[in-house]
Amino acid sequence: MAGAVNIMVRRRITALFLIMGCISFLLTFRLVWIQFIRSEYYQEEALKQRMREVQVEPKRGIIFDRNKKELAVSASADSVFAVPAEIKNAHKTAEALAEVVDMEVVYLETLLSKKQSFVWIKRKIDDKNSQKIRSLDLDGIGLTEESKRFYPNGTLAAQILGFAGIDSQGLDGLELYYDQYLRGAPGWIVAERDATGRKIPQGEQKYLPPKNGNDVILTIDEVIQYITERELSKAMQETQAKSGTAIVMDPKTGGILALANYPTYDPNHFGKYPQTSWRNASISNSYEPGSTFKTITAAAALEEGKTTINDHFFCSGSIKVGPDRIKCSHTEGHGSQSFADIVKNSCNPGFVTVGQRLGKDVFGKYIKAFGFGEKTGIDLPGEAKGIVRPPEQLRPIDVATNSIGQGIAVTPIQLAVAVSAVANNGKLMQPHLLKEVRSPDEKVIKKVTPTIVRQVISQETAKTLCETLAGVVTKNGTGRNAVIEGYKIAGKTGTAQKPGPHGGYAPGKYVGSFVGFVPADDPRLTVLVSIDEPKGAYYGGTVAAPVVREIMRDSLQYLGIPPSEPIDNDKGQNNTGESSQYLEESLNRTIHVPPLTDLSIVEARQMAKLLGLKVQIMGEGSKVVNQIPKANVRVVPDTTIILYLGDEQKNMAQGNTDQKGKMEVPDVTGKTIRDVAEIISYESMDINIHGSGIAVRQKPHAGEKVNQGTLVEVWFEPPSVHE
Amino acid sequence: MSGRRRDPDYVLYLTVVILLGFGIVMVFSASSIKSFVRYGDSYHFLKRQIIWVVIGLIAMTFTMKVNYQIYRRMAKPILYTTIALLVLVLIPGVGKEINGSQRWLGYGSLTVQPSEIAKLGIIIFMAKYFSDKEEKMQNFMHGLLPPLLVLGVIFGLILKQPDLGTALAIAGSVFIMLFAAGARIGHLAFLASLSLPAVGAMIWLEPYRMRRLTAFLNPQADPQDSGFQILQSLYAIGSGGLVGLGLGRSRQKFFYLPEQHTDFIFAVLGEELGFIGAVTIILLFFLFLWRGYKIAIYSRDTFGSILAVGITSLIGLQAAMNIAIVTSSMPVTGIPLPFISYGGSSLVITLAGVGLLLNISKFSIHQARK
Repeated sequence: MAGAVNIMVRRRITALFLIMGCISFLLTFRLVWIQFIRSEYYQEEALKQRMREVQVEPKRGIIFDRNKKELAVSASADSVFAVPAEIKNAHKTAEALAEVVDMEVVYLETLLSKKQSFVWIKRKIDDKNSQKIRSLDLDGIGLTEESKRFYPNGTLAAQILGFAGIDSQGLDGLELYYDQYLRGAPGWIVAERDATGRKIPQGEQKYLPPKNGNDVILTIDEVIQYITERELSKAMQETQAKSGTAIVMDPKTGGILALANYPTYDPNHFGKYPQTSWRNASISNSYEPGSTFKTITAAAALEEGKTTINDHFFCSGSIKVGPDRIKCSHTEGHGSQSFADIVKNSCNPGFVTVGQRLGKDVFGKYIKAFGFGEKTGIDLPGEAKGIVRPPEQLRPIDVATNSIGQGIAVTPIQLAVAVSAVANNGKLMQPHLLKEVRSPDEKVIKKVTPTIVRQVISQETAKTLCETLAGVVTKNGTGRNAVIEGYKIAGKTGTAQKPGPHGGYAPGKYVGSFVGFVPADDPRLTVLVSIDEPKGAYYGGTVAAPVVREIMRDSLQYLGIPPSEPIDNDKGQNNTGESSQYLEESLNRTIHVPPLTDLSIVEARQMAKLLGLKVQIMGEGSKVVNQIPKANVRVVPDTTIILYLGDEQKNMAQGNTDQKGKMEVPDVTGKTIRDVAEIISYESMDINIHGSGIAVRQKPHAGEKVNQGTLVEVWFEPPSVHE
Repeated sequence: MSGRRRDPDYVLYLTVVILLGFGIVMVFSASSIKSFVRYGDSYHFLKRQIIWVVIGLIAMTFTMKVNYQIYRRMAKPILYTTIALLVLVLIPGVGKEINGSQRWLGYGSLTVQPSEIAKLGIIIFMAKYFSDKEEKMQNFMHGLLPPLLVLGVIFGLILKQPDLGTALAIAGSVFIMLFAAGARIGHLAFLASLSLPAVGAMIWLEPYRMRRLTAFLNPQADPQDSGFQILQSLYAIGSGGLVGLGLGRSRQKFFYLPEQHTDFIFAVLGEELGFIGAVTIILLFFLFLWRGYKIAIYSRDTFGSILAVGITSLIGLQAAMNIAIVTSSMPVTGIPLPFISYGGSSLVITLAGVGLLLNISKFSIHQARK
């Protein structure tokens, strides 16, 4: 039977089979090596390459004003990225995407064709566009949530706040200065990912939550800041000046209440403004203070006993200093006058005389003691020192010019701080913007207490000088334009010529300024305003004093500081009722929200209707117990004011809860993030903010009944500029 | 040639069916992620694999029914057709180029690889030649040289595509057939010594082959490109351990492993089913070899015997090469794992070959064990 295939072939085939068997055995041994002996190593290496860390951005801390109004917040925003490996047709994808992300198709196509596992297309886009991209549903294009810095008040306090960059890092202003507090620490998601960067389902995963940034609470008062900016901007329109600065501070603590510069910018879109507008001129610009500096000369002379308030001086219209002659603004001369009158009239020869009596060393000592020539140490980046020449370099003419505020350069903040020392019984305070730092769980991490830098002059001298400076702001003083009926204001005007490019002074270029405090007997506010290169009138008493007056008047009213002086009753316009003021403003298209609390529903409705505002009633009761927006906030006509009713305080705490513990969701559309947050928190609900600007959509809808603690999603969009 | 017909070798049949079953399951597991990401359908490759298996089984049933003696008569036309197809595929515009290789003929999704047809074609031709010239096999000039020249032509044509893996598998199979047909060991050793510098030259001439060789020798040195495949494969198999991560639980198939459902499917199998799964596959192939060679030994005639050796060796050689590559036991060259890897022409031809083998088994003279 075995004859069909010859014996050798059979043997060979058998040999073949044995060889193949050997190969099988070798391969099996190879498997043993890989799967047993080296298994652990390969397993570790494989896991190592698949585990990727993804950083989770912390939420940047909020910047609040002193009353916990939000000045800078972080809202979540979507960022667009591409996974090029998943994109089949880069050109088509680019075409579909180009319009939404506002980029060139060609450029986009190169991005989408990159040999990278991950490419950012555009970071932090607004909600409308992110929804568009979501609806396009393109392969290889994804959205991820990041946090975006948002400044709900736009330009308000821009140069103080500064701004944060795309990676939420502080770049300027307080965002930079307090970056370490605001920034927080990133968390990590460590997850097993595929070769293109996607998470592997049921893969290994670890999560280390981010540490959110701390909140920074400022000494700034949003309302005073707003008043200050409004008045400064108004003055800039009227004077057509190149730039302007205004500072409002509490002389007793050194806390800055408001600090404004013009021109300004919107930190939400800082890139669209020239870099010069980011500059905080009030701390970084040095200028010749002119007559406002005479306050310092007077303080030194009175403290040193070189003059008393009743000493008499003679002004012939000029004074000779060596070969030079310094003129008085009143060229015919003031004649014989007391030191009080010298201050009141800002008489140059008088101040030169007391300056000479002081001498360069003593005067220099006071200039230094008042903080000139050194940084004030205010908590902002980019502060300048000013220029003060050391006493040994001063010639007689320099002493003379310094005593009238020339030949010396100071920053606005230095001057405000120095004058505040006069207001504060001679104690020079450390100026500051930070009130406290709080952790996200409201623990106080840092609290700033008022710091006395030094006692510059005695309390008695300070009191005397306050009285003297109060004489300036009277009907016949140089500061007459700063007079407010009922309040005693101390202050000093100043008009300085600007230095020209080739030495000497530039003709027709002036800085008009005014610095003062109120009430003079118990100062609460120091206000400095300087207007740079106004067109037309340029005297500090003309261009700056009225601005100070307006800032002071509204701030005093806002702070509820009562008038201390008798009021001439012949005008009587102060008693026409509060509504008239608000009514007047409604004509200007923006309305100050009136205080409606403690009114009945009928009264509140009437008041609102009168001003062109709508109301929405929440809760039950006979009286308005709370309102949102709060009084004095500026809104556009037809804004809905939410009124919370109640009989007593007890209703306050529970919002508009009905019997079953369910609450009605309030209508938040048309409101700012801050207002929405306040409304929602008042209702004991939680809020999730999408986008930025004005609320346009919400979920659940207004009027739906929900439980306490329900998460309300609110979408915001930037308001259009034309409205 | 009208001997009494017997049943085909059911053990072989069953072995192949089990291997095909593994193939379908593993193709699905290995390809589902890629299918979903690329085509939005996790079953994309699975569906196609099932269709190919069905086509392959039809082809197998057909060749199982057709008396293998027919191929003896048709050996020459088959060879010419094969060569013609191999030339055709190289003509620009006729052959389809995919990934830099010109290997396919046909329209749309209906394509065939002439090199796959060549595998079977050349084995049939060689089987006829060796059985006809049985007595001349000892003579180098008259016995060995002519078939080697034919092999040289086909080898060159396939290398031109280029498809070194297939070319090597064919050359290896022919060499094994020579050995089985009774060529002198001295001659075979001489041939083997000639082939070494030839392979060296082929590697030297193509930079990518050189890279693959260096990457094989030291995968860590080049973890991005050639070494990447090897490393990823080792990571996969190594992660498997004894019992594996479980079916469908491969991590490396998430785009780390290249060709995860074709040439590197054994790596996914090793990762998911572990050493037990991998050795099962090796044992199944070993079983296949045993039955295949048994058919050869008990074939009614030398032609059937040599033909059975050729087919069995081709499949066994491809399996050994594939597993060797995936376990980094030899340099990377594209070769599918028979019955298991996803792939159309290759699977159909392999199954047609199995059918042929089964047909030979029907005429087996062996009676003792039924």
